[in-house]
Amino acid sequence: MITVWQFRHAWQVSLACLVAMGWSGLSSGSDDLVADARGSTAEPSAAVASESSAGAAAESDSAAVRAEDALSPDALKFFETRIRPVLVEHCLQCHSADAQGTRGGLSLNRREGARAGGESGPAVVPGRLEESLLWQAINYRDLQMPPTQQLPREIIDDFRVWIEMGAPDPRGSTSAPVRSRISGEDIERGRSFWSFRPPVAPAIPASGEGWAVTEIDRFVQEQMVRHELQPASDTEPHTLLRRLHADLVGLPPQPQQMDRFAEAWAADPAAAIAEEADRLLALPQFGERWARHWLDVARYAESSGREVNVTFPHAWRYRDYVIDAFNMDKPYDEFIREQVAGDLLPAETDAEWAEHLTATGFLALGPKALIERNPRQFQADLIDEQIDTVTRVVLGISVACARCHDHKFDPIPQTDYYALAGIFSSTETYYGGVRSQRNRQPANLIILPADDPGPAEKALSKTELAALRAELDEAEREYLEARRAARQAMTARATNAGDARPVRPLLNPILLDQRVAQLTSRINSVSEDGKPLTFCMGVQASDRPVNARLLVRGEIDQPAQEVSRGFVQVLCREPSAISPDSRISPDARISPDSDGRLELARWLTARENPLTARVMVNRIWLHLLGEAIVREPENFGASGPGPTHPELLDYLSVQFMESGWSVKHVIRMIVNSRVYRLSSQHDEARFQRDPDNLWFSRASSRRLAAETIRDAILSISGQIDLRRPRASMIAESGNTLIGPNGPVPIRIPGTAPGVRPGPADRRKNFAARLRARAGFASPMDAAVYYRSVYLPVARDALPRVLDVFDFAEPSMVIGQRESSNTPAQALYLLNSQFVIDQSDALARRLIREAKTQPDRIELAFRLVLGRSATTAEVRSSSQYLRRAESAATADAKTERAFAALSTFCQALFASAEFRYLN
Amino acid sequence: MSRSGEVRMPSPITRLTRRDILQTVSAGFGYLAFAGLSTAAGSSSSSASPLAPKQPHFPATARRVIFLCMQGGPSHVDTFDHKPQLTADAGKGARYGGSRLMASPWEFRRHGESGLWISELFPEVAKHADDLCLMRSMYCDQPTHPRAMTQMHTGNAQFVRPSLGAWTLYGLGTENDSMPGFIALNPPAAAAQNYGSAFLPAVFQGTRVGRPGRGRPGADRGMAAAGPEVPDIANPRLAASGQRQQLDFIQELNQQMLKREERHHGVEGVIESYELAFRMQDVLPDLMDLSQESPQTLSAYGIGDGAATDAFGRQCLMARRFVESGVRFVELTSGGWDHHNGLRTQLPTRCREVDQPIAALLADLSQRGLLKDTLVIWGGEFGRSPDAPNGDGRDHNHKGYTIWMAGGGVKGGVSYGATDEHGYQAVENRCHVHDWHATILHLLGLDHQKLTYRYAGRDFRLTDVSGNVVHEIIGGHGGKTG
Repeated sequence: MITVWQFRHAWQVSLACLVAMGWSGLSSGSDDLVADARGSTAEPSAAVASESSAGAAAESDSAAVRAEDALSPDALKFFETRIRPVLVEHCLQCHSADAQGTRGGLSLNRREGARAGGESGPAVVPGRLEESLLWQAINYRDLQMPPTQQLPREIIDDFRVWIEMGAPDPRGSTSAPVRSRISGEDIERGRSFWSFRPPVAPAIPASGEGWAVTEIDRFVQEQMVRHELQPASDTEPHTLLRRLHADLVGLPPQPQQMDRFAEAWAADPAAAIAEEADRLLALPQFGERWARHWLDVARYAESSGREVNVTFPHAWRYRDYVIDAFNMDKPYDEFIREQVAGDLLPAETDAEWAEHLTATGFLALGPKALIERNPRQFQADLIDEQIDTVTRVVLGISVACARCHDHKFDPIPQTDYYALAGIFSSTETYYGGVRSQRNRQPANLIILPADDPGPAEKALSKTELAALRAELDEAEREYLEARRAARQAMTARATNAGDARPVRPLLNPILLDQRVAQLTSRINSVSEDGKPLTFCMGVQASDRPVNARLLVRGEIDQPAQEVSRGFVQVLCREPSAISPDSRISPDARISPDSDGRLELARWLTARENPLTARVMVNRIWLHLLGEAIVREPENFGASGPGPTHPELLDYLSVQFMESGWSVKHVIRMIVNSRVYRLSSQHDEARFQRDPDNLWFSRASSRRLAAETIRDAILSISGQIDLRRPRASMIAESGNTLIGPNGPVPIRIPGTAPGVRPGPADRRKNFAARLRARAGFASPMDAAVYYRSVYLPVARDALPRVLDVFDFAEPSMVIGQRESSNTPAQALYLLNSQFVIDQSDALARRLIREAKTQPDRIELAFRLVLGRSATTAEVRSSSQYLRRAESAATADAKTERAFAALSTFCQALFASAEFRYLN
Repeated sequence: MSRSGEVRMPSPITRLTRRDILQTVSAGFGYLAFAGLSTAAGSSSSSASPLAPKQPHFPATARRVIFLCMQGGPSHVDTFDHKPQLTADAGKGARYGGSRLMASPWEFRRHGESGLWISELFPEVAKHADDLCLMRSMYCDQPTHPRAMTQMHTGNAQFVRPSLGAWTLYGLGTENDSMPGFIALNPPAAAAQNYGSAFLPAVFQGTRVGRPGRGRPGADRGMAAAGPEVPDIANPRLAASGQRQQLDFIQELNQQMLKREERHHGVEGVIESYELAFRMQDVLPDLMDLSQESPQTLSAYGIGDGAATDAFGRQCLMARRFVESGVRFVELTSGGWDHHNGLRTQLPTRCREVDQPIAALLADLSQRGLLKDTLVIWGGEFGRSPDAPNGDGRDHNHKGYTIWMAGGGVKGGVSYGATDEHGYQAVENRCHVHDWHATILHLLGLDHQKLTYRYAGRDFRLTDVSGNVVHEIIGGHGGKTG
């Protein structure tokens, strides 16, 4: 197996980077890249060529680092005699951190300043002339430096030689090493903090006799006794069934199920719950409900968010991966390892390999400021986002605080952050996108080693492909021309400033730029023979792992000492004697050839890791009981609230690990406990004694999640479609921007006649379909009836039903959602077309399934609220129906009756009880 | 308006957590009963709501804010920052970039008793010179539009953080229980976080009114005749009486549930939200219906068919109507201030669109006695460079620019701080965005160091770990003109 894997792995790297979407159309190196991108996908040589261009930046970086460690005398002499004097004479006056100022944010007085560059991007990229803005500027291209007069030709040639030889630069580039305030002793002491000690199975308390059903109950009962609390009584079977259904599958029980459950409950409550829980856990709807909890913390979204909100048309594969993982009860440790280092794990089949690659989408999905000009800044922010997400999601602590300084509360020195940063610096992140004038930081995507049975993009015939390529050539030519014209016009104006008339170029470069990007994207979506390629977002290890340098105050142009790749020291066991910086535990050593990500994944999921299991069982408890044991689920550090039930938390953690990290096992344990059955009924004395319900002596009343509200409405109206839809609406929209009303339709302007229907025409049809569904302002709110987990999740453009009901902000790690009651929700339930349509559908269902008005009222209550109507409710319902019918304006009596019944159904959907779980 | 005095809540707001807020809500049970059902619109029943008016940390001079956001970075050296040396050095090479300094093509003159220098591009606003406090030494950390915009609104461009309006609402609550407390009129697209609440409870986020524009000139025309868009503000089938009937039935079900549960802050919140929503349906379109204003007022704001000032005039007038009705924070946006090219033609156009409406707003507020405690803010995410890389346009400049404020207790007729001789960099009394935020909160009676919210184990502030209140500009009486 190992051999197979190694072979595959080698192949995978080249394959993965083969492509495609990350076309860099603006730089003059673009021609090569385009050629590569369009090169044969079947030929390994083409793949390698493309790989080398994609990886060139990283390569030249490490080459530069090596070069600087020992500059050759010749290189040194060249710099000192030809370069340094010019910099001093012509540049440093305005671009020096020591002198007048750093105009444009650029300081050229130190090596790192030149490399990091200023607002416009890096000034010097060793070995890459065309990417070095300094080169552009001294040649008087877009920038013109020095401003007063262009340098003589010979000097410009010197700079060419210098940059091409790797820009050797001896000038003291690193700041003094940063000494941490946190000592080794502090860290050692820190290891005794409760959450940094591995959990051990506690003794089961003896209390709870007569009340406790499971061992969980004994822990809870013990605390109740200590705090002089009596447990609430068990809730009604129908309330419990509704709770169980909402919690496990996010859908309400059907009336027959309610009857069956009530009977089973009467015979044996424990058996009734166990049986129902097992049944629900086996349904595919379970994964659809629980995946969403994970997607909340994984800040899952299908667009980049931020300033230039571009779509992630392949993100949905990660979503489906998570759903499947929960459904198959994938061991949680494996689940984490796949997401952090799936690309490095052995795989026996292509399908398994594809699954692992898809899992790494976790690291690639974060929000991104694609408008950022400076690639180093972008990279630093990207890594920061990855560190922050991994540590908060898996470990429940925030390590990203240590980017700029030692952690304020926990013994996590700044060096720990850069130890992790080294791991992620040695990782390439692939999230796709096409370079344009606003998207300045596109990336490649990973080609999955599996064919998609129903690809979102259609295949292209040979003729179509050839036509598109010809069109791309034409578009590129026009674009370059338009840019040249624009520049000429600009120069003409600049030279006789004052009375110049604006000259409009014949063709708009921005539109042409878009057109080039869209054509490229379309061509790259298929293989050489026109077959659609299957992509995913994710990561790959870079060829040459590097350590990161600590950045003073987190600023990219202020690097200090190099920090070995490693983990968070306080979470490691005894420091290893082998590793002088006491960073690496014997169980988690990183070899110099390895980026360390696989080691990180193993360390995160090691039995000894004190946090991983605790954090997850705490999350599971939170989702089932409404409040967590550690009330801030992402703060297990010293500033956090700590656990209310430390022994229970450890008991669950140990159980979790011993069950083989089975999430379903922990869920089963909790829902079978007595504490899960308690009533939420208010009791003043109990409330006064424990207003926050810290001790779980009653159930917390919880508002349903946005998805559960929508899914329940659709399920009750009978309209729900439980099949998993293909991909996602964002995937259908392709590579585009998110506008105020969702994805901006792709247009390829000036499509040459004779080209077969391409994306443009498909968009037109899509738009027509949407227009046909009148009443929906945004395509994000289109009338689709599949489950809510499949609705499009574009950052800053959420479907309204999710947005108003406190959906997890997809740019942040959200362990616990808000639960608000706002007027916007009220307006949505009272006035939206969706709720009105579903009320009509429910009214039709009531008419179909019950003959008399009292029967219809009863059925409506059972469907919507999961219980029978009370006498008072029957009375007010009939009264309302009578009034509403007489107020209705329709001519026919049946129409008036229907209108009344529909608004009655809507009222039940709008009622507080519908959106609360008791 | 202004029942506000009666319902102040005495509790200090320092370190108020979400849990505290929820407790406050549940502690408020009892007022509810059938208060909501009484339909006495505007009966101030929300004393326990997190949005109820709160006592500030110390006496405030400003009680509400109108933020006129000029998206794109208006040129300060052509509007409110007079630079004679720039004129003198025009055509010389600048030390800042690859091109030559460009004098402002527009005349600056002194205005008002205070003699503030303002360019001819703002003739109407200049008439209110003695109300204006020009902050001429602003700077921020971000050279690109969206990030600078985000920093201007949230203090931080890197992370998603609550916006200025959300913090204000969190600190002070609102005074009209029929209206949202923070309204973003015609907000630009893809900028939700600029009026979002991030980790603050969602009740504090801005309510969007109007179609999102794309920050392009004319994008705000969507506001015109057809009326701005508020999602689901009207029922497509039921008339008001029919809906009231339905709502009474819903509330009856809710009350029965409340009776069964005895105490349930969630249900109380639902009941309250329905009543506010129902009132909003009435009040909001009404407040937005400008036909109730006199022809004189409309023409003062420059509202009229085909007028260049029409779109922004509507926004300004609506803003006045909103704050007058007790809305705490109103933000409106004018797009298209990014003049890399065509400065000579485009900048005057933009200025013309907003000059008269803003002047009318200041006069109107003043005349209604509202200017003294309404803080009006004008500004963009940054300013523009003194040189002209493209001949007839200026580059971005976040190192020195001008924002002005009026009313709400700031000194009028004052210029604070200065840029260098060309207007490139703030050099005197430099004022970072954090300082500016601290000052705004101070005017509202809020100590920016005490207005905190606990999230992920840390107490967060609008000003992070920075911010100095600019005390020098505080102490005005407002409303000198008009």
